[in-house]
Amino acid sequence: MKRVVEGSQAVAEAVRLAKAQVISAYPITPQTHIVEILSEYCASGTMDARFLRVESEHSALAALIGAQSCGVRTFTATSSQGLALMHELLHWTSGARLPIVMAEVNRALASGWNIWTDQTDSLAQRDTGWIQLYCEDGQEVLDSMLQAYRLAERVYLPVMVVLDAFYLSHTYEPVDVPSQEDVDRFLPPYGPRFQVNTENPCAFGQLVPPGSYMKMRRNIAMAMEETFIRFSEIQEEFYRVFQRRYDPVEAICCNDAEIILVTSGTATSTCRMVLRSLRDKGERVGILKIKLFRPFPVAMVREATSQAKKIAVIDRNFSFGASGIFAQELRAALCNTAGHPPVFSYIAGIGGLDITIELLEEIYWKTKGTAFPEEESLWMGI
Amino acid sequence: MSEPDISFPLLIPCSSQSTESNKTGSWRFLRPQFDEKTSPCSAACPAGEDIARIEMLSAQGAFKEAWEMILRENPFPGVCGRVCPHPCEVVCNRTEFDEAIAIHAVERFLAETASRYDLKPSLPRLAAKKQRIAIVGAGPAGLSASYFLSLLGYSCDVFEAMSEPGGVLRWGIPTYRLPLPALKSDIAHIESQDVQILTGQKLGRKFLQDAVERYDAVFLGCGHSRAVKLGIPGEDTNAIEDGLQLLRRLRQGNTVSLSGISAVIGGGNTAIDVARSIIRIGGKAIILYRRRQRDMPAFDEEVQMGLDEGVELRELVTPVRIATEGTQCKLTLQEMKISGEDRNGRANILPIDGKTHELRVERIFKAMGALPGEDWLSPPEKTNGSLALSHTVLVCTDRRPALLFGGDLTNETKSVAHAVASGKQAAMALDIFFRSGIDAIVPELAACRVGQGPSLSMEIYMGGNRRLRNSHVVSYEEINTDHFQFQPRITQPRLLREERRISFEEIDLRISTNLAIREADRCFNCGICNQCDNCYMFCPDIAVIREKNKDERHINYDYCKGCGLCVVECPRNAMTLREEDI
Repeated sequence: MKRVVEGSQAVAEAVRLAKAQVISAYPITPQTHIVEILSEYCASGTMDARFLRVESEHSALAALIGAQSCGVRTFTATSSQGLALMHELLHWTSGARLPIVMAEVNRALASGWNIWTDQTDSLAQRDTGWIQLYCEDGQEVLDSMLQAYRLAERVYLPVMVVLDAFYLSHTYEPVDVPSQEDVDRFLPPYGPRFQVNTENPCAFGQLVPPGSYMKMRRNIAMAMEETFIRFSEIQEEFYRVFQRRYDPVEAICCNDAEIILVTSGTATSTCRMVLRSLRDKGERVGILKIKLFRPFPVAMVREATSQAKKIAVIDRNFSFGASGIFAQELRAALCNTAGHPPVFSYIAGIGGLDITIELLEEIYWKTKGTAFPEEESLWMGI
Repeated sequence: MSEPDISFPLLIPCSSQSTESNKTGSWRFLRPQFDEKTSPCSAACPAGEDIARIEMLSAQGAFKEAWEMILRENPFPGVCGRVCPHPCEVVCNRTEFDEAIAIHAVERFLAETASRYDLKPSLPRLAAKKQRIAIVGAGPAGLSASYFLSLLGYSCDVFEAMSEPGGVLRWGIPTYRLPLPALKSDIAHIESQDVQILTGQKLGRKFLQDAVERYDAVFLGCGHSRAVKLGIPGEDTNAIEDGLQLLRRLRQGNTVSLSGISAVIGGGNTAIDVARSIIRIGGKAIILYRRRQRDMPAFDEEVQMGLDEGVELRELVTPVRIATEGTQCKLTLQEMKISGEDRNGRANILPIDGKTHELRVERIFKAMGALPGEDWLSPPEKTNGSLALSHTVLVCTDRRPALLFGGDLTNETKSVAHAVASGKQAAMALDIFFRSGIDAIVPELAACRVGQGPSLSMEIYMGGNRRLRNSHVVSYEEINTDHFQFQPRITQPRLLREERRISFEEIDLRISTNLAIREADRCFNCGICNQCDNCYMFCPDIAVIREKNKDERHINYDYCKGCGLCVVECPRNAMTLREEDI
């Protein structure tokens, strides 16, 4: 049924429909609405779940590590400083192979204090072993959440569903909120391959010698590789029930594009409008929307950009001392392919600044008018 | 829907081996241990009551056990809950946090609860001894001595000159402060410990010679009954009465009429009691005191309530002459001035030359203190075979019986709690004397001190658990106040001033069980374990072990790493962290 909901509510409805059993979170703007709604669902009995109030995000994730180890489906949501506080436990979660699902609302990191959108918080956690899915609109948020449980519980890796602060978390738009029956058809109950069991006591996470440790790390890397296969399978399953599907990357008009704009999150929607108007003017432009950031879909990126002359990556984030992070990933993906196009890096919309149609058009014309990137990154709009 | 094949195994760190083989205790260089200490209130209580534990038991609703805790150290909870000036509350650590615990109110509540339900205490008692003891005077000191001697296995006869036991408690304290049923209830519990009280037995000096045949020791606790003389011209008029006599007449049930103005000379509790009694029987009372109000030895609260009720106080005057004028007396009052203060902040006074004035009153009551009724009741100057302790003087020559002086005869501070301390010290000293001789008394008593003393504990003497307590007195800085919330002290419900002025009804009203529990629950329980289990909760190694069905905890040193969290998080300093011996 179509309902007009906030992005935050789209997350909460998905968690309800996924029948999460333990939820633990600490409030932080702009994530707060998500857990507010869920806490009400738990209190009213709409959900049969335990809501654990904790004193910090570190404890929120620690509590879920305990709960998930006991073989139940769990959820947390956070943002910015909260995610940073979880850092060591993010590593623990993937190392312990716990399929925890988190909603991460992209917000700028302090200092200065800023509550608006910026991807640096989630991208700074790219090496923690979490699968990362970036979303463009409310529907994609809800769908990605449901898929996240399916994916996490297949590959035994945690999944972070990432959405822009305010542009998504606090914006109302029509979203198809599916029925419980349909969701149940797509998402079976969690049947853990391992769990704490008092009948057969065991200890998790004890000391591991170097040889075994390296094998376990390799095992996680293999699970990341497996993610591509499972992701595609899940899209088929999801399509059969809901008639919607998503790809790790979405290539829009890339076949004949000379310049491809690489985007993620809500900036993609704005870019779609720019694409239409530029195409109307006869410009051969395409968009490559990155949805799956970890594992990074190298093969798909290479394929989608193989015909392009130039690539312009729009990054709402920055790695100090390097460049935009998506641009880095693009360059790394392409560097071992012969004759690959140059990658232009544009920094835009930092700390919640709007990425407007005009700005994106400026990026396009600047890319078109320059033969080769003159700087590692160009800061736009300031 | 079937799960796709997993083509490679899922590797996780998982072990079915017990981690118990990893004895993390071997890492330890600091050793936490349960180490109960001494609360400041218990050290300040002349009777050495285990107040922290009494409050703990009260908060748990274990009223009989709490009451018995008092009875192990003090046979007068009903009396002391009312008239003791509660030095315990002055040193209460909670004062620095918000307000002191109303220890006296909980004590009185426990005594009342015991009476209401007619509880019988079950107190440990030592095996019967062959020695017999005579106690002269059934006041608080004599009754305490007989009570504690009885717990120690001795049989005692108490001789009382008056028609009923109680001494100053029975005849000297007005009923609005200490109603008769409260006193009777405490005395009944003393009698139930096989103490025989023989009333109407006024003894003379000859009794000591006769006692040789029948008793191994005699305790003299006859108190002070002879009023101090003013030593001024005109003192021998009939218009002058001893204040204690007035209080006695009132408590004997006599109808006394005192219309007009009565002067009361003195600044102690007796002066206040006399003045407030005069108000209650329709007279007007003026207290004449040679120093300032703040220098008065009477309890501040009593003075304040007296003034509220209409007692007039004249400071810095002392009578120098009394003359009779018809039915009235003319008092000549010398005005005094302050000339510095002594160590305790009490004013030193000097007469102001030539400054006198006169005061006409109907009668005068003396209340400046008292002396032993007869000379032979005063303890002797230091002689061979005598031992002067803090609250009693023991005289034991080769001839039986051993003689002990106690109560007001020997105590510097004259209060019920000090009388109890005297009776207790005498009982212990006598027991040690019979067992090990006079030289053993001082060291053995020292081992029974509460904190640094001088209060003594009968529970320690009798080998109870309290002997394991560390004598260190817990300070406020040693309390982890993070674990406590501000909560105001209870407000004592009282009769209105208008009701007080016309009746001898008890002023302080009974408090409810709820209030008593709430007040007791405010107590930090300094130095003792109340099974809050913070240690258990905070231990990262699950090394604090709770005994099943017991109130005890112990530490499993096989796994305790010595992090010290338990000690820091103990709210009440009932644990100690020490360096391991290497």
